[in-house]
Amino acid sequence: MSGAPVSADLDRWAWLPAPLRPRAGEHPGSGRTRLIETTLLVLAGMLLALATINDVVRQTHTNQRLIADLRTWRSYTGHPYHNLSIEQELFGINSHREVVCGNTSPGGPKARVQLCLAIAGPPRGPLRTVQGGWYLPPRSEDFRADRYACFGPAARGMCGR
Amino acid sequence: MSVAAQGVRGVGRSRSEWLTPALASLLALALVAATSVIVLDGATGHSALIPRSPQIAGWLKGIGGRLGYAVFLWAILAMAGAYALLLTLLSRSRAAPSRRRLALLLLVALHAIVFVGPILLSTDVFSYIAYARMGVVHGINPYVHGPAAIAHDPIYRWVGISWRRVATAYGPLYTLLSYPLAPLGVVGALWAMKLEALLASAGTLALTWRCARARGLDPVWAIVAVGANPLYVIYALGGAHNDLIMLAAMMLAVSVSLLGRSSSRNDALAGAAVIAGALVKATMAALLPFMILSKRRLGPVLGALAALAIGLLIGFLAFGIHGIDVVAALNRDAAFVSTDSFPNEIAHLFGKPGVFPVDHDLLKASLVLIVVHLMWRTWRGYDWIAASGWTLLAISVTSTWLLAWYILWPLPLAVISRDRRLLAATLVVQALFVIHQTSPLLAPVQ
Repeated sequence: MSGAPVSADLDRWAWLPAPLRPRAGEHPGSGRTRLIETTLLVLAGMLLALATINDVVRQTHTNQRLIADLRTWRSYTGHPYHNLSIEQELFGINSHREVVCGNTSPGGPKARVQLCLAIAGPPRGPLRTVQGGWYLPPRSEDFRADRYACFGPAARGMCGR
Repeated sequence: MSVAAQGVRGVGRSRSEWLTPALASLLALALVAATSVIVLDGATGHSALIPRSPQIAGWLKGIGGRLGYAVFLWAILAMAGAYALLLTLLSRSRAAPSRRRLALLLLVALHAIVFVGPILLSTDVFSYIAYARMGVVHGINPYVHGPAAIAHDPIYRWVGISWRRVATAYGPLYTLLSYPLAPLGVVGALWAMKLEALLASAGTLALTWRCARARGLDPVWAIVAVGANPLYVIYALGGAHNDLIMLAAMMLAVSVSLLGRSSSRNDALAGAAVIAGALVKATMAALLPFMILSKRRLGPVLGALAALAIGLLIGFLAFGIHGIDVVAALNRDAAFVSTDSFPNEIAHLFGKPGVFPVDHDLLKASLVLIVVHLMWRTWRGYDWIAASGWTLLAISVTSTWLLAWYILWPLPLAVISRDRRLLAATLVVQALFVIHQTSPLLAPVQ
């Protein structure tokens, strides 16, 4: 049925020392191996579960920050725009300081002069603290060479011109 | 025993006789309803979860709303809950006569709903079509160039941005299988890809049924465990992924190995089927060492070598040396990192921003250790099907590039394995993957 080797097949390996010979099925005494395997599996499962939950919590905190960032940009500029871009890694991936950019007048994404705000600190109510910012010309990405009119302590040294 | 006691027991039995099937039917309905919500809302379009696509499910528009993260995640969680309860019920009611009919109805309904709907969650199918059109329509080798080489072709706009410059990583057998679909046009090829996925899934389930029966396991339970799995239905079938073809080839290999009489011919066929699957997606080659160690005969080796020689020759003639350079494609993909991968999550747990190059080496070393241990265990009598399943699970868990359909690879093996730990581990890993998706429920970004 399962194609299990018959004893003649196993006899071909009789020249091997007993601990190295193949077997047709698991030895009844392999319980210790299974116990060790199961213990390692449970430990690995616990590590994966811990890492997963940690990541969900981390991502949830990030989302909460992003929600506050978007609200902060809209509150600071007075524009209720939804097409905003957020950069999380400009000040370092663990800095928890984000840069939110959006148009200064109605238009397609990045079609107008953009205002970028460096936002940091814990959410105070629905908002976070603006620590500085800069402007970008229309249709440009947030590259140092394109930034101008930097303001605030967080934007010190960030402008290329 | 008193007459009264017999009466109470009789009432209890008759109650469970109708209650269990009724509960199972309700759970099956919940699975169908949640799948319908995802498909109907997905057909409306304008959702980050639905890739931009040619209109293939326009007639379903207007029935549902726009598919948001919250609805999608609640539907997946509902499916996961119903799936777990249904499996529990089915395992406790082996004698119920209606369970076979219920299982088949459920699987047909889930497959039909997903088949008529839009492509879900992934742009991969557009890459498959692009690679086919590159070779057939434009005479460009898909193993040398990415879809960017056919930027003027109508399929190009639908290919995922990250994959536009990436040459195909799929095996030459899969690429050749996809070639006849290229002349059907974009929409025709898309439907053909969906049909291919549907047929591959039906084949996988039929072979799983046969393998479970051959091993004295419950075939109804086995096919429901595979075919009603939320990740299988929504991600693999919904995205028309070619992993389903690989799974069908895998179960064909296992089925030939289990069902036929133990002859050299069957062993050779099983070895050849493993290679056929590996020529669709290289990962499937992981089964071969365990099959060989378990059989301890020349049959699988000769079958595999013959299939490999034929496959490589055809691949070389069709695509040149790049078409058979599997190692280069695997090395390239192994360097990718996805946010859902477990190594990435563990890196975050230890305060690192992500996976570093040294971590890739550590992960490869861990995988080698696991495979060597499993090979030794197989040599000493451990079930080779379970060992193959553990290896596929270990590959997906240690991979830095993890996608939902990768953690389906071990599932058909797990349901027919003699080691029930494999099924438990596979389902736990899948559950963790789903849990990892849920952060938008806790803090929805508008």
